Amino acid sequence: MATKRKIGKRASTRKQKAATAAPVQSPENINDVRSLLKVLRDGSKPIDVRMAALQSLGAAAFSVADFDSVHADYIAALREVSTDSHEQLRRRALGILMRNKDGYAQKKLLDGLKNSAKALVPPEKALQLLSYDVHAGAYSAARSILKKPPNDEAKREALRLLAADTKSTPLFEKVLRDKKELRVNRQIAASALHSLDPAKLQARARKILLDKSDYSDIKATSLTALEQFGDDGSLAKDKTLLQSVNRFKNSKISAKYKQTARRFLSKYGP
Amino acid sequence: MDVELHINNSTAPEVRFLTWSPSPCRIRVTNPSGANTPTVSVKIAGVSAASGGSVVFRSGTTGAFSSTVTLTVPVDGTSVSFFAAGKFGQASVNDGDIKIEARVGTTLVGSVPVMVRIRKDANDLTTGERDRFVAAFAKLNNQGLGRFADFRNMHVSVSLPQAHRAPGFLPWHRAYLLDLERELQAIDPSVALPYWRFDKPAPNIFTRDFLGESDAIGTVQFSNSNPLQFWKTDNTPGINRTPDFPTSQAPPGLSNEAQTLALGTQFRAFRGMEGDPHGLAHTSFGGSIQDPATAPKDPLFFLLHCNVDRLWAKWQRKNDRFDAAVAESFDERPTSRSGHRLNDTMWPWNGITSATDPTRPPTAPGGGMAASPAVGAPGPQPRVRDCLDYHGVTDAASDMGFDYDDVRF
Repeated sequence: MATKRKIGKRASTRKQKAATAAPVQSPENINDVRSLLKVLRDGSKPIDVRMAALQSLGAAAFSVADFDSVHADYIAALREVSTDSHEQLRRRALGILMRNKDGYAQKKLLDGLKNSAKALVPPEKALQLLSYDVHAGAYSAARSILKKPPNDEAKREALRLLAADTKSTPLFEKVLRDKKELRVNRQIAASALHSLDPAKLQARARKILLDKSDYSDIKATSLTALEQFGDDGSLAKDKTLLQSVNRFKNSKISAKYKQTARRFLSKYGP
Repeated sequence: MDVELHINNSTAPEVRFLTWSPSPCRIRVTNPSGANTPTVSVKIAGVSAASGGSVVFRSGTTGAFSSTVTLTVPVDGTSVSFFAAGKFGQASVNDGDIKIEARVGTTLVGSVPVMVRIRKDANDLTTGERDRFVAAFAKLNNQGLGRFADFRNMHVSVSLPQAHRAPGFLPWHRAYLLDLERELQAIDPSVALPYWRFDKPAPNIFTRDFLGESDAIGTVQFSNSNPLQFWKTDNTPGINRTPDFPTSQAPPGLSNEAQTLALGTQFRAFRGMEGDPHGLAHTSFGGSIQDPATAPKDPLFFLLHCNVDRLWAKWQRKNDRFDAAVAESFDERPTSRSGHRLNDTMWPWNGITSATDPTRPPTAPGGGMAASPAVGAPGPQPRVRDCLDYHGVTDAASDMGFDYDDVRF
């Protein structure tokens, strides 16, 4: 039985009910797919029935032999329901469209970021979906959001989207350095810096570990980054770093972080 | 006196991995001091660490296994063969948690550490197993710069017909998982790909210390110690995954294991599981894993497919469907697309692109199938038929070097 799902604009918890569950099915042929497309488009049907139809259509994309023959109809139906009155259907349809690199969906999302009256989903969701097909238009939207973020999640998603933008290296250095920045954003900055400029990440991660006033969770992220992706030879020779990691291990931190430090020291310590 | 033990016919440490399938082993005397007869009687046994795996032996290619085997070994250095296998139900937890010991009388004359390395239910992994798997996977990804990019690029829109909606779906994905697993084992040989048993609750998988916890918009969050926090695909960091069910429960609406195994005794019927439960497992989420072209961006994809493969393995065991010569073992059709007939090689491992065959994708990422130091199968360019007898039931040389915790040899 499918679960019924309620999504708010900024739901801090996701509520899920298994109440009036609509059955999902695995379509076996194109006629099944066509029937499901009709259900999806039918605004008079209950939302859980339409969501179940969408789930079944997704399964068909994996398994129905000549699904490609109805792919255009599938995309057309998704475009149609991307402006549906039910937000969960809009989110899901836009997600599928963006993963199929649909220009219509991309334009809708960008328009919504520029003009909130046209927004089909919250800005953080729009940015998340735009990351499936990153291009210059999305970067510019993300930078605008960063100048004046409507909420923390939107800022976070803007940072994630910019992680492939080579011009954003200074931004990520700044975010990683800034102790007042939310830790999740510093974590994204660390990840972005590794691929944009690995040497800068290694240097910054080291500084974080040497800095007694920085937070234990970002130290744990830095340790993980160095252990996974650092230069083994340099790390083993870095006595100052190893001493700092030892201090970190012996400080009042969670058992998990102690374990991370212990693992680092057993790999690189004497 | 000293003896040398060969596991998988080698003394190299990288081959000391066993499954439920019999592994060829050898023993020979390397230092005969103290021997005053042409042969010695050597007893071989496994000694397990606490909570470690367990090994069984037999002297020949047939017959029952037992916890020890006694061999008559010439002192002139001639080797004697025997077979070792993991004892079903007792997989290792750590590398080397079993020692295979050889004794002459009570004197220890030789010993090697081995691991019974088995694909397990991801929800039941120890913390150590989980962390090693996650670390190896993150290294393979290397923040988007690593070899994982090839695996991501093997499963994109243009390549979907190579692996889906046709009889080769299960063999192709078996090869795909094995290729990835071998790359993980090149990073950490103690790692085996775990499976997500999607017809049962698996709350331990969807945690910040494992495959992450989804927030309100479906961005997956990891703990600061989890190296998957650096996961990156297609130049974008992070994973998008929105479960349509509470992750303390199983996704609803999918056929369970018993229902899947009851699809039929012929492969033609069984492969309908591509839709249910496989397709429905994918679409129990929003996010990357929901769509065929983006699904492998989420590491959960590989655990989902490991369960799909386990279900196939279990069906094969139940119905004795390892032999490609038996019609019911596969859905062989002359009209099937290239890559979906028993004797076809499979893209991308065959390197064939649209330059020479218009039915193939434009590129073939990743090259040939990764080799295993322990077994020879399925070779660098596996055929569909090479993926059926995965643990060497009809032909020992077909053993691909993996097994599932709940599927016997």
